[in-house]
Amino acid sequence: MKEELRKQIEAARTAINAAERQHDLMQLKSQFLGKKSDLNGFMMRLKELPASERPAFGKIVNEAKQQLEELINSRLLKVKESEYAAVLQAEHLDLTMPGKRNIRGALHPITQTWREIEDLFIRLGFQVADGPDIEDEYHNFDALNTPADHPARDLSDTFYIEGDVLLRTHTSPVQIRTMEKFAPPIKIICPGRTYRNDNDATHSPCFHQVEALVVDEGINIADLRDMLNYFARELFGPEIAVRIRPHFFPFTEPSAEMDMVCPKCMGSGCSLCKDTGWLELGGAGIVDPNVFEYVGIDSEKYTGYAFGLGIDRIAMLRFGITDMRLLFNNDLRFLRQFK
Amino acid sequence: MKISYKWLRDYIDIDLDAKTLEEELTFSGIEVEAVEELGAILNQILVAEVKERQQHPNSDHLWICQVDNGNEVIQVICGADNCEAGKKVALAPVGTQMGEFVINKAKLRGEHSFGMLCSERELGISDNHDGIINLAGDCVNGEKLSRYYDLSDIVFEVEITPNRPDLLGITGIARDLSSLLHREFRLPNPELPAGTKPIRAELQLDNQAIDLCPRYTARMIKGVTIAESPDWLKRRITAIGLRPINNVVDVTNFVMFELGHPLHAFDYHLVEDHQIIIRRAGLGEKFVALNDEEYILADTDLVIADSKKAIALAGVIGAANSQIQSSTQDIIIEAANFKYSAVRRTSKRLAIFTDSAYRFERDLSDMQAELAGRRCCELILATAGGELLEGLLDSYPEPEEPVIVTIRPSRIKKVLSINISQETITNYLESLGLKQLSNGEDSLQFEVPHYRKDLSREIDLIEEIIRLYGYNNVETYFKPQKVMNYEIFRNKRNLTDSLVKLGFYEVVNWSFAGVEDLDKLRIVERDRRREVVSLKNPLGSSFAIMRPLLLPDILRNTAYNLNHNQKDFRFFELNKVFLQGAGKQAEEKYHLSGLITGLRDAIHWREEAVKTDFYDVKGVVEELLSLTGLSGIEEKYSKETWYQPGVGLDFYNQGKLVASAGKLDPKVASSFEIEVPCFVFDLYLDTIYNEKRKIVPDFREIVKFPPVLRDLSFLIDQRFDLAEIAADIRQSNPELISKIILFDEYKGKNVPSGKRSLTFSLTFSSINKTLNDKLISKEMDRIVRSLEKKYEIKMR
Repeated sequence: MKEELRKQIEAARTAINAAERQHDLMQLKSQFLGKKSDLNGFMMRLKELPASERPAFGKIVNEAKQQLEELINSRLLKVKESEYAAVLQAEHLDLTMPGKRNIRGALHPITQTWREIEDLFIRLGFQVADGPDIEDEYHNFDALNTPADHPARDLSDTFYIEGDVLLRTHTSPVQIRTMEKFAPPIKIICPGRTYRNDNDATHSPCFHQVEALVVDEGINIADLRDMLNYFARELFGPEIAVRIRPHFFPFTEPSAEMDMVCPKCMGSGCSLCKDTGWLELGGAGIVDPNVFEYVGIDSEKYTGYAFGLGIDRIAMLRFGITDMRLLFNNDLRFLRQFK
Repeated sequence: MKISYKWLRDYIDIDLDAKTLEEELTFSGIEVEAVEELGAILNQILVAEVKERQQHPNSDHLWICQVDNGNEVIQVICGADNCEAGKKVALAPVGTQMGEFVINKAKLRGEHSFGMLCSERELGISDNHDGIINLAGDCVNGEKLSRYYDLSDIVFEVEITPNRPDLLGITGIARDLSSLLHREFRLPNPELPAGTKPIRAELQLDNQAIDLCPRYTARMIKGVTIAESPDWLKRRITAIGLRPINNVVDVTNFVMFELGHPLHAFDYHLVEDHQIIIRRAGLGEKFVALNDEEYILADTDLVIADSKKAIALAGVIGAANSQIQSSTQDIIIEAANFKYSAVRRTSKRLAIFTDSAYRFERDLSDMQAELAGRRCCELILATAGGELLEGLLDSYPEPEEPVIVTIRPSRIKKVLSINISQETITNYLESLGLKQLSNGEDSLQFEVPHYRKDLSREIDLIEEIIRLYGYNNVETYFKPQKVMNYEIFRNKRNLTDSLVKLGFYEVVNWSFAGVEDLDKLRIVERDRRREVVSLKNPLGSSFAIMRPLLLPDILRNTAYNLNHNQKDFRFFELNKVFLQGAGKQAEEKYHLSGLITGLRDAIHWREEAVKTDFYDVKGVVEELLSLTGLSGIEEKYSKETWYQPGVGLDFYNQGKLVASAGKLDPKVASSFEIEVPCFVFDLYLDTIYNEKRKIVPDFREIVKFPPVLRDLSFLIDQRFDLAEIAADIRQSNPELISKIILFDEYKGKNVPSGKRSLTFSLTFSSINKTLNDKLISKEMDRIVRSLEKKYEIKMR
């Protein structure tokens, strides 16, 4: 039996030393050391020996098992090492070849600007209000204190559908509709698409506006100026200042037009600002008490400010786009620049 | 901390039910974490009498008792030896809920038993479990045991915030409740007997660490008898989870939980030279505490010592060398106050966390120490006897100055937005023990009681006022209004962001269109989309109407870009479309439409360039619909006229059309001057947002058991659609089949014409068991048989 054992061990050693793959070694392990292995078989056959020889032989078998296990483990390390070397050998790559990227498009520059504006207001607790593009004269003009004979109501300025139904000429009717539905305090912006009967190099019949409206107790012109400065600085940088000048709008009193420091020359004068150092941004003012009357808000208790500006124009200024028509051409050579 | 309701009632008369009291406590700032009812079991236990008993024939330690339960005589098997006939016993009848288990009819070694006779421990009366309880002879059979033993109590486990050490005793809670509920509060304030001879003759006190021990008082009682505490005392302290030890120790614990102020008792004869010295420990000084652990002290630790050794770690734990023993006769009662920071430092460093340290490290009151000592003596004299020595030793070199705080009603209004009268302010604060000193136009001055160290500023008093007024009684006036639906707002952004990541460029077009656009799309006359809104003064005939679809503009953008040498691109637009509405209000709806043309992917050296096909655009729609949170989408072949016949698909949700996708019909394409294959889609966003959607996903447990994968491959007639086949497969066992993936479709060589070969990969998984081969094979057989029957498939 001892001789048998010796042969068995010898065979195992030879096989292990010849193994070249991890998988083969695992198989050899179960073949020689597993439950049904020959070595284990020797243990079963111990009783064939005289009792006096059993402990010594058992010890030999156990030692043999241990040695084989060690041999397998050290062989395994070698095999892993050589497999690793093979991987290094095989994977010789030209790493300067282009990586695999997913294709990616882009939002339109108007949308990118639109979102910037929404987000800067949302950060300050404003909500975004929406309203119909197809409006009536009441919400677009009357309730905004714009009299029936106002020139803005002309066919040459406003697209009409039928009777008093028209395409909104500004997003102000959304302000009216919001004030009709909600009580102060109100803090909204209404971005949206607006329409005017105008089509040339600097005017698009479809364009985009955003207006802000805040109504609460104690709202005043200082709040308006703070907000205009915040708005301009969030969009164009911390150096940008805003000024307001007296102007006229039917729905605000006092009314103002707002200018911001030209972001291109920072006020020193350039072609963009026609050497004035300032760019006109939009209109602003304190909500006219008449407007509050129309929507049933107590104009003694509440005051409010509103301002509005063109999103398209802001987009052009932000990206330095010079021709407004590019915005609606949807030329890929243009769109790809806003990735 | 645990509060016993019965104990609480020693100091305040309240009869609120547990639920109400729990709410009152929680909303006054004492959060109730758990409520436990004690002694309820006794309402189920009956007084009974053992009429006769005999040895159980099959057991030498069980007895068969015939028991009179007041109504009838029943048989109960009992394991205790003291269930002799004639005894009054406590019977738990069948159905009694004893903690975790229920008493059932049982058969014990062949003999029936209809109930259980209980020990004191089983009833929660005491720790005694040597045999069953023997009731007094005059207890009436059939009566509830609760008539004779009133153990019922309700224990509230409350969280005391660190700023309120005054609430670490039950009287503190009672005091707070009294101001909350306008009930009288009774604080124990005992008068002690004069005493025999003066304490000074027996004990010396030397405070060498005034900075760490602002006050130390000691009283002495001689000739006490250390014994078990009386029942009332045991019941009080067991109710809050303490174990009775002996009368003196139990009293010190009782007073700590009553007044919130820890005490310590020393055996007078173990105090060397009858001297108490308060000093800093020596660096490396060894100290064996009551818990028999040895600690090495630092010179920042404060100890109570005699002339030779430390006898207590001040405020943290006593020493083993001087503790009360059964032989103790003469005792010293320590009631002191220690600097909170020193106690905390020592307790943390040595990791000794006691009820005492917990209280001292929250900064207790010097004044309270004296009361606690007095109360402790009163109760020891009452429970352990002995004689009080005259007077007390009191080291209190710098008595606490009362704190004075001014409060302005105008400030209350500013912070709390409530209008309350000066009178109410005074009532609130006086009920908390503050004393009004003066009041002016807009200022009231109060003296703060010693036990409220947390009140030192005006704002602290304002907090007390709102606590009593009730946070939720403050009228609110700004009700936020939901002007916008933020979820939809965000979802729209999600959709467009995803399209960008899928390679789409957004286009923005005017809202105008010409009627000829509808003709080009072959939209029939009676189609709803022919009910367009027309402008009275348009820019021209191509701009005469408000567009009812986004598609024509996208097609024009496509033609323009194809003309400018662009071949592979994807466009989308999200915008409103317009139709005539009911009345003068037009119908305005948001749509999301798009187009794919050219190669599927950017050119890459590793991959073959592939042209887009229908399944690309379908994948886009599937992705978008899943982002909207719709589930259970149904697909039907589309009848939209701009799709190539048979290559357009509509998507329905609950019977409503929510999207369509398909190949642009080549003739339609031509009419827009497009001569390459284009695939387009259209989502009805407003319809989608009106549907029920899954906005927050439901979490499901991760399946612990490994899934089993099986392939299924067969030939099938081409007229059957995959959706139907896959649904049938899933239907065969929806609980087990977690995933069905179409792996491959093959037509051509070796497949008869009119047929196709489909290969699926099925994933089986179960949430509660490991799936074995046999079960899965059975399931597979079932699937195959049903498919054979319905579709006449041929397995491959």
